[in-house]
Amino acid sequence: MTDIMGGAITYTPSIIANQLVANITTDQSEQASLEQQVSTGNAVNQPSDDPTAAAQILQINGGLARAQQYSTNATDGLGWLSLGTSTMNQVLSALQTAQQAVLSTSGTELTGNPAAIQSLATQVNSVLKEVTQLANTQYGGQAIFAGTGNVTTAYDANGNYVGGGSAPTRTVGPGQQIPVSVTGPAVFGTGSTGLLGTTPGSLGVLAQIVSDLQTGTTASLTQVSTTDLQNLQGAMAQVENQAAVLGANYQQMQAFQQQATGTQQALQSELSGIQSANLPQAVTQLSQVQNSYQDALWAASKLTQDSLVQFLG
Amino acid sequence: MGDLGLSIAASGLDAQQAVMNTISQNLANASTTGYVSENANLTTLPGGDALGIGGGARVDSVTQANDGLLQANAAQTTGALAQATALQQVLSSAQGIFPEPGSNGISAQLSSFWQAWDTLAQDPSNPAGSTQVVNLAHNLTTALSQASGQLTQLQTSAQSQLGSVVGQTNNVLAQVAQLNTQIVASKGAGANPNALIDQQNQLLGTLATTIGAVSTTADNGSVTVRVGGITLVQGSFADTLEVSGAPGSVAITSASSGATIPATGGNASGLLAAINQYLPSYQSQLDAVANSLASTVNTQLAAGYTATGVSGATNPLFTGSGAAGLTVNAAVAANPQLIAASGTSALPDATNDGSNAQAMADLYNTPGGPDQTYQSFIQTIGTQVQTTNNQVQAQTSVANAAQANLQAVVGVDPNQQMVQMLATQQAFQASAQLISTVSTMMQSLLTAV
Repeated sequence: MTDIMGGAITYTPSIIANQLVANITTDQSEQASLEQQVSTGNAVNQPSDDPTAAAQILQINGGLARAQQYSTNATDGLGWLSLGTSTMNQVLSALQTAQQAVLSTSGTELTGNPAAIQSLATQVNSVLKEVTQLANTQYGGQAIFAGTGNVTTAYDANGNYVGGGSAPTRTVGPGQQIPVSVTGPAVFGTGSTGLLGTTPGSLGVLAQIVSDLQTGTTASLTQVSTTDLQNLQGAMAQVENQAAVLGANYQQMQAFQQQATGTQQALQSELSGIQSANLPQAVTQLSQVQNSYQDALWAASKLTQDSLVQFLG
Repeated sequence: MGDLGLSIAASGLDAQQAVMNTISQNLANASTTGYVSENANLTTLPGGDALGIGGGARVDSVTQANDGLLQANAAQTTGALAQATALQQVLSSAQGIFPEPGSNGISAQLSSFWQAWDTLAQDPSNPAGSTQVVNLAHNLTTALSQASGQLTQLQTSAQSQLGSVVGQTNNVLAQVAQLNTQIVASKGAGANPNALIDQQNQLLGTLATTIGAVSTTADNGSVTVRVGGITLVQGSFADTLEVSGAPGSVAITSASSGATIPATGGNASGLLAAINQYLPSYQSQLDAVANSLASTVNTQLAAGYTATGVSGATNPLFTGSGAAGLTVNAAVAANPQLIAASGTSALPDATNDGSNAQAMADLYNTPGGPDQTYQSFIQTIGTQVQTTNNQVQAQTSVANAAQANLQAVVGVDPNQQMVQMLATQQAFQASAQLISTVSTMMQSLLTAV
């Protein structure tokens, strides 16, 4: 039998069938990939979809988590700082009460009026107790003025500082650490110019005022209205200074928090740029692939009919 | 004029009948794998006539439309496609072990791990913080060792698949040798071994798929099968293949000569590449992630102190090495307070100091650290899967084209067969007509007498 048809390549039904099957398979896998893109909204669903983008996405996700953490750290820091500031304001208003009491001793009429003097001493003593209590203020179970040296207590019952180290800090940006508090000695002073000491022989400013009032002599009352008053005013100025430090830290912390939020948004938009599928494009491609898939199926269904066999009676 | 041409017409009928049978056989086997379409070759019969008129027609032979070059090309491309497909299957499975990018992968777990250090830094005295660090460290070591275990399992299953491919190959090699003997014997006896040759073609196709074998056919019909220059079947001899060597250096060797069979194509070559190169490389890259995690964390810990001023070097968080061997230090797991969160050893300053934990948290995505090592690993695996995907796609069209070229020659084209059938039918009818004409002539002659 010689090749009667002659000439070009012959397409036998099995070639046509094989090629149809190959086309259908290609269409199917393309369709699956596009359907995954459309259903997840992501262009990169596994590393092999786009290896470079996959590595970038992992890196951006890490950066996002980090920026989120900076923001969380800043929120925590802002909590510490606002509690510190309000505590210091309470300390200041208590100290103002003490100051008024001290100022009222400036007249001499108090001498020989032990009851009045005793009431002033009681007043100052309660201020001392209040300030000592405020010095032990806790945020989430941690004493805010104890530095890193003590978890729950900054000052003991005798007004001695039992904390240590420096004030804790929060990381709010790469390499950016901001103190969220100040240590007790920086706010309340130490020794005879400190506010809180009650140990006999080394009394702090407030305890000294109480002691001088209780002594009740003209000399001691003069002491109250001169040296003691100066010391008290000095201590108040120190508290005000530290409150200003906390205020500055608060502003800085807020600025970094905004920056972290901005970074988050920038990373998020970069991420969606890399990861998100171009939906209109994906949907259009999907419908094209579906059409060609249907065409291939249609052709396959006609395969057996197109043969000379059909036309021979 | 002898019998008035009756015997010539009869030989024509016989010959056309044989051609019809051939066409019928071709159409019946139009979709039989390995079937090569057949031609009935007619030749003239010599006649005893003084005028030199021949004695009719007869079937000289029935031959197959073989084409050695196209067949070799189809076998080679089939082998290459099988190789790429086998590799693609293993690598895709390996990629599936790492669900990235996603919220459950090792990358996300690393991220949570670093975040736990931030939480610890904020409240170092709170046992919840250190416990969380230990828990997340434990999750990480579990995820790493699970992934490593799955890679090992993949390696094992690829090896057992290789074993069954080689087993199947040995089976087929033996059958080819047996067919060689039968074909040679059948040809020697003057019989037509076409059906045996079809069977052999089918087996050779299997060999191309399994080990990328190529074959040559001798004049006597005996087939020689080779892989990369090593003869596996010659005449009645069939070699047996064996899988040998430890993971990383697994090879297929010949049982008779001990020679290593080169991985030139076929499923076996793809599996060998996965077993010897890709999977061990993934395993070692995953180990590098684990080791980098351990050294990054333990080094930073060694720079810190516990709340009681004990150096962090005393109690590393991670012990062991490699993705499978990395574990959380049992002492730290039992007492998370042993984590050196403080940056100072001085007491009481260390009591509530979290500066070392903070420094640890800042190590996320550090150059050469676990995050970046893992990212580049994921990029590597993604790139390799993408490459094999592309190879499979390219090889599929190449193999399809080679197959189409081969089919165009050896395949059965019903249209062509139909045309041939019509021609044969007409020739048959003509011969029959001649017989009836001779009959009429005889009648008129007899009537005249």
